[in-house]
Amino acid sequence: MLASLVFYTFGFILILSSLFVITARNPVHSVLFLILGFFNAAGLFVLLGAEFLAFILAIVYVGAVAVLFLFVVMMLDISFADLRKDAMQYVPVGLLVGGVLLIELTMVFMSWQASPELAQNIAHPIDAAAQANNTKALGLILYTDYLLIFQMSGMVLLVAMIGAIVLTLRGRSGVRRQDVSKQVSIKRADVVEVQKVTSGTGI
Amino acid sequence: MIQSVDVFQDIKTAMPEVATAAFALWLLVFSAFKKHQAFAVASFLSCAFLVGIIVVCFGMFGQYDEPVVAFGGLYIQDYFSLSIKMLIALGTLISLIYVYFDMKQTQIGRFEAPVLMILSMLGMFFMVSAHDLLTLYVGLELQSLALYILASFNRHSYKAPEAGMKYFILGAIASGMLLFGMSFVYGFAGHTGFGVLEEVLNGTTYNVGLTVGLAFMLVGLAFKISAVPFHMWTPDVYQGAPASVTAFFAIVPKIAAICLIMRLLNGPFGGLQDQWVQIVYALSMASMVLGAFAGLVQTSIKRLLAYSSIGNIGYALMGIVAGGADGGASVVVYMTVYMIMTAGTFGVVLSLRKGGVAVEEIADFKGLSKTSPFHAYAMTLFMFSLSGIPPLAGFFGKLVVFKAAVDSGYIVLAVIGVLTSVVAAYYYLRIIKTMFFDEEDAGMDEIQIVPYAAQHGTLVATLAVVVGFCVVPAVLIEYAEVLVRSLF
Amino acid sequence: MSIETAIVFLPLLAFMIAFLFGKTIGDRGAQLVTCSALIVAAVLACVLFVDVIRDGNTRVTEVAQWVSSGSFVAGWTLRIDQLSTVMIAVITIVSSCVHVYSVGYMSHDKAQARFMAYLSLFTFAMLMLVTADNLLQLFFGWEGVGVASYLLIGFWNYKDTANKAAIKAFIVNRVGDFGLALGLMTCYVLFDTIQFDSIFDQVFGQKDTMFDFLGYQVHGLTLAALLLFMGAVGKSAQLGLHTWLPDAMEGPTPVSALIHAATMVTAGVFLVARFSPLFEFAPFALQVVCVLGGLTAVFAATIGMTQFDIKRVIAYSTMSQLGYMFFALGVSAYGAAMFHLMTHAFFKALLFLGAGSVIHAMSDEQDMRNMGGIYKKIPVTYVLMWIGSLALAGMPFFAGYYSKDMILEAAYADHTNFGMFAFWCGIIAAFLTAFYSWRLLIMTFHGKPRADDKVMSHVHESPAVMVVPLVVLAFGALFAGFFFYPGFVGEIRAEFWGESLRILPENDTVGAAHHVPQWVKLLPIFVGLGGIFMAYVCYLWKPSIPARCVAAFAPIHKLFFNKWFVDEAYDKIFVRPAFVLGSFFFKKGDGVIINAGGVDGLSNASDTVAKVLSRFQTGYVFHYVFVMVMGVLALLSWIVFRLGLN
Repeated sequence: MLASLVFYTFGFILILSSLFVITARNPVHSVLFLILGFFNAAGLFVLLGAEFLAFILAIVYVGAVAVLFLFVVMMLDISFADLRKDAMQYVPVGLLVGGVLLIELTMVFMSWQASPELAQNIAHPIDAAAQANNTKALGLILYTDYLLIFQMSGMVLLVAMIGAIVLTLRGRSGVRRQDVSKQVSIKRADVVEVQKVTSGTGI
Repeated sequence: MIQSVDVFQDIKTAMPEVATAAFALWLLVFSAFKKHQAFAVASFLSCAFLVGIIVVCFGMFGQYDEPVVAFGGLYIQDYFSLSIKMLIALGTLISLIYVYFDMKQTQIGRFEAPVLMILSMLGMFFMVSAHDLLTLYVGLELQSLALYILASFNRHSYKAPEAGMKYFILGAIASGMLLFGMSFVYGFAGHTGFGVLEEVLNGTTYNVGLTVGLAFMLVGLAFKISAVPFHMWTPDVYQGAPASVTAFFAIVPKIAAICLIMRLLNGPFGGLQDQWVQIVYALSMASMVLGAFAGLVQTSIKRLLAYSSIGNIGYALMGIVAGGADGGASVVVYMTVYMIMTAGTFGVVLSLRKGGVAVEEIADFKGLSKTSPFHAYAMTLFMFSLSGIPPLAGFFGKLVVFKAAVDSGYIVLAVIGVLTSVVAAYYYLRIIKTMFFDEEDAGMDEIQIVPYAAQHGTLVATLAVVVGFCVVPAVLIEYAEVLVRSLF
Repeated sequence: MSIETAIVFLPLLAFMIAFLFGKTIGDRGAQLVTCSALIVAAVLACVLFVDVIRDGNTRVTEVAQWVSSGSFVAGWTLRIDQLSTVMIAVITIVSSCVHVYSVGYMSHDKAQARFMAYLSLFTFAMLMLVTADNLLQLFFGWEGVGVASYLLIGFWNYKDTANKAAIKAFIVNRVGDFGLALGLMTCYVLFDTIQFDSIFDQVFGQKDTMFDFLGYQVHGLTLAALLLFMGAVGKSAQLGLHTWLPDAMEGPTPVSALIHAATMVTAGVFLVARFSPLFEFAPFALQVVCVLGGLTAVFAATIGMTQFDIKRVIAYSTMSQLGYMFFALGVSAYGAAMFHLMTHAFFKALLFLGAGSVIHAMSDEQDMRNMGGIYKKIPVTYVLMWIGSLALAGMPFFAGYYSKDMILEAAYADHTNFGMFAFWCGIIAAFLTAFYSWRLLIMTFHGKPRADDKVMSHVHESPAVMVVPLVVLAFGALFAGFFFYPGFVGEIRAEFWGESLRILPENDTVGAAHHVPQWVKLLPIFVGLGGIFMAYVCYLWKPSIPARCVAAFAPIHKLFFNKWFVDEAYDKIFVRPAFVLGSFFFKKGDGVIINAGGVDGLSNASDTVAKVLSRFQTGYVFHYVFVMVMGVLALLSWIVFRLGLN
C-alpha cells in the first residue's frame, strides 16, 4: 500500500517534470526540471530494489550530465523562444502522430503476453550472499559473465574520447609552450655563441 | 550461478577481435607519441595489420566447422562470421588506402582516422559474431560512434560537421528504437542470448508484443543499412563527409549490418519468419523504388551513389526475403559484388581531383574520355556492372538474388527489382554519357589525376574482379552456399 | 598445366598481350608474340595428336567450374577425343601458317598488332568451340568465332564495303545461330543436361520421344538435329544462308584463308560430326543434310564458273567443297567428311594464300580480267597454286583425291535415292570444280598480260615469310591424303575414331564404299580431267568460246553470274520489307506510341516522382526524424491492425 503510494507519487512527478522540461520558457528552468525528473527516476529504481542504478543515475546524470547542461545553457546565449516558435508549427502533426503511436502501443501493452518459459529464463541465480546486495551482485556478473560486453563498452567510451579530441583539439600556431625535456636537454653550444670581436669593427 | 569462464579459450576463439582491439590501443598510444608523419605511419601499419587479420581469419577457418560459442554465450565464431570478417577487413583495407591518399591531398589527415577505422571495424566484427542482443547492440554502437566522428573529420568544411551531427542524432534515435525493441523481446522471453531466444521463439504462436519488438529492432537496423524509409541521413552524410570516408560508409558497414540482420532473422527469430518476411519485403521494395527514382535528378556524384547504395540494399534485402540457404547465399554474393563495384567506383571518383578535393559533381566528368581514357573506361565498366549488364559481376549479383526470390515464389518483388534496375540504369548510363559525349565546358577547372600507384593498383584490382567474375562465378556462389549453412 | 590447356590458352594469352600492350611492344613485338605462341601451340597439337590418336588417351580436362544451377552444370572444360584432336591439329597448323604469312602480307598496314591480336583471338575461340564438352561452351566458342570473324572481315574499317560485308556476315550468321541456340535448348529440354557424354548416352533411350513444338507433335531428336543443322548451315555457308561468304572476301586475304576456308566455315561440319550419335537416330535430318549438301556443291560451283574476282572464285569453291562434306555427313560418312575437312583445310588455305600472293604481286588487283601472263615472274606461287588446284580437283595422289573420292563412293554406297542424288551432284560439281580451277589458273597466270605496264613492272615474288607457310601447306595438300587415308576412312578407322564418332552398323557407308564398282571410283578422275581440258580449250586455245557461250546461253549465264539472284531475292523479300517495317515502327510505333506515351512519358513521370522524392530531402534533422517516425508508425499500425492483437 505504501509502496504503491510512493510509486505513483514518483511516477506522477516524473511525467509532470518531463512535461515542464519541454514547456518551460526559461532554459535554466528546463534543466532544473530535468534534474527533478532524474531524481524521481532514481526513486523508482530504489523501489525496484535496484539501488546501484539509482545511485548511478543520481551521480552521473544529475551530478555530471545535467550540471554540464546547466553550464552550456547559461553560457550560450540561445534564444529558446525563437527555436520554439519554429518548432510550434509542427506541434499539431506531432501530437497527432504521437497520439496514434501512443494508442497503438497501449493496445499492444493491453494484450501483452509473455512467454510461458519467461520465469525459467529470467531466473538468473545469484549467490544468496550477494542477493542482499544489489551492487555486489552486479559486480559479480559484470566482470565474469559479461566481461566481453564490459570491455566493449570500454572501447565505445574510448572512441567517444578520441572523437572529442579529434573534433575539438586544434594545434594553434604561435603559442609558446613550456617543454621541460627540451629545456633540460639543451646544450650550451646550442644557444651561446662566442664571437671574437676586433675592436672598432663591430659584428 | 556464476559460470566459470575459460578466458584463454575464449580469447583464442575471438582472436580477430582481441587482436584488433589490442592493435587499436597500441596504435593510438604509439601514434600519439610519434611526432612526424604520424598519419602516414599509422595508416601504413593499419594496412599491414588488416592484411594480417585477413590471414588470421583465413587460418582459423579450419577449426570452425561447427560454430563455437564463447564468453558465456555472448559471442559466436563460425564459417560465416570468419568469412564476413575477411570481407570486412578487405573493405576496410581498400577504404583505408583511399582515406590515406584523400586526406593527404586535402591535408586533413591525422592518425586518429586509421585508428577510428580500425575501431569501427572492431565493432563490425562483434556485430557479425554477435550471439546475444547485448553484444549486437554494443558492437553496433562502437561501429556507429566511430563512423559519426569520421563523417565530421574535416573540421574546416562546414558540411562535414553538419553531416556528422545529423548522422549522430538520427543514429541515436535509431539506437533508441533498437533498444526499445530489444526490451520487448527481453520482456517476452526473459533472456537476451540468441541460443535461448531461438528455443523460446521457435515454438510460439503469434504474439503481438514480440512482433512489435522485432519490428522496432528492424527499424533500428534498417537505419544502419539505410533502408527506406530510414534512409534519410544517407544522401546528406555521403555528401558532407570527406569522399574517402564516404567510400568507407558505402563499402563496409552495410555488409556487417546485413550479415547481422541475416543471423538475427534466421537464428533467434527464425520462428517468426512469417512476420518479418513481410516487414523486410516492404523495406526491400521501398528501397529499390526510392533508390531508383530519387537518383534520377541528382547532380552530385556522391548523392547519386548514396541513392545507388539505398537501391542496392533493397536488392540485398530481397535475398533475405527469399530466405533459406539459397537466399542467404545470394545476399552474401550480392554484398560481395556490391562491395567490389562500389569500391571501384569510389576509386575512380577519388582519383579525379579538382582543386585538391575529389570531384563532386557529375558535370565534372564531362569529356573524361579524352582527358583520362583509362578512368573513363573503368568508370564505364563499373557503371555497367552497377546497372547489372552482363557479363560483369553486377549482373551475377542481381541474377542470384532474383533467382532466389523467384524460386521462393516472390515473383512480384523480383519483377519490381528488374523494373527498378532498369530505371536505375538510366542514371548510371547518364554518367557514361557525360564522360563520352558531353563536351568539356570552356573555362572548367582542370581535373587532375592523382599520381598514387597504390590507389590505382586498388582500382585495377577491383576492375579485374568486376570483369573477371564471369569466368568463374560458380566459385563464389558455391562458397557462399557453404558458409551460410552455419546460419541455419 | 596440361598440354591441351597450353594449346587452347596460348592463343588467348597472345591475344591479350598483342591487344592490350600492342602499342608498347610495337607491331614487331606483337607479331613475334602471336606467331611464336601459335607455332608452339601447333607443335604441341602434333604431340597431342600422337598421344590421343596413337595411344588412345582421350580425356576431359576441367579448367574451372563456370555455372552451376540445378541440372544445368557447365564448366570450362577441354574435351580431348579423336574428333577434337583432329580439329585442334588442323586449326593450330593452318593458323600458325596464316599468322606467319600475315607478317609479310600485312607489312604495309597501319594496325598490324591489332590484326595479329584478332587472328589469335579467333584461334582461341575456335579451339574453345572444338574442345567444348557441353552445349554452353560450344555456344561460347561458336559466338566467339562469329565475333572474331566480324572483327576481321571489317578489319579495314575505313572501307565501306568491308563494314557492310562484316555486318552482313554477322546478321546472316545470326539466323543460323538462332537455330543453333534453339537446338541447344531442345537438347537441354530433351536430356536435362548439357554435358555431351550424358546426352550421347541418353540418345538411345530418347529415340522415340515426341516433342510438342508449336502445337505439332514432332520427333524430338529430329527437331534437335534439324535446329542444330540450321546453325551449321549459317556458319558453313550452305545453300540458303550462304550469301555472306563471298562478301566476306572483303577482309584481308589471310583472314579468308584462315576463317573462310580452313577453320570457321568447317565448324558446321564439326558440329554435325560431334552430334553424330544424335543424328544417327534422326534419319530425316540426315536426308535433309544430304540433299542440301549436294545442292550446295553444284550451286556454288555454277557460280564459281562465272566470277572474275580471284578470291570470290575460291570462296564459291569453298562453299561447294563444304557441300561435299555435308552430303558425306548426310550419308553417315562422318569420317569421310572429317577427312575432306582436313585435306580441304590444307589445299584451300594454300589456294587462298597463293591468291593473296598473286594479289600482293599485282599491287592489290583482284580482278582476273586484269591479270594474265605472270607465271614466269612468280614461279613459286605458280607452282604452289598448281598443287592446290590439283588437290582441289581431286587428281590422283593429291590430298583431295583421297577424301573427295571417298565421299563420292560413300554417297554411292548409301544406295538410297538421296545418296544417289548427292552422288550425281558431286560428279557434276567435280567437273565444274576442275573447270573453274583451271579457268582461274589460266586467266591469272597465262595468256597475254592484261594489266598496265606500271603494275606489270612491279610484279615480284613474295618474301620468304609468305612463301614458307605456303610450302608447309603445300606439303599438307600433297601428302595429307595419302598419309591419313587408312586412319580416317581406311581399315583402322574404328580404332582411329574410337568413341568420338558413333555410326549405326547399318549406316556404315564408309565401310561399304570400299566395295563399290570400279567405274564409280574412276568417274570423278575422268570428269575432273574433262573439266581441265575444257578450261584449256575455252581460255587458252580458243578464247572466243566463252564469249560465244555467254551469248548463246545468255539467260543461264546471267543467272550464274548474278549468283542465282539470291542476294537480290533476299533483298526484296527480307531486307526491304524489314526496312519498311522498321521505319514504320520507328516513326509511328516508336516515335508516336512508345516515345510519347511510353519512354518519354515514363521518363517524364519518373522525373516528377524523383523531384517529389527529393523534396523530402530538406536537410532538416526533424524532417528526417519525422519520416522515420512515420515509418515506425506505418509498421506498428500494420502489425496492430493487420496481423492483429493476441
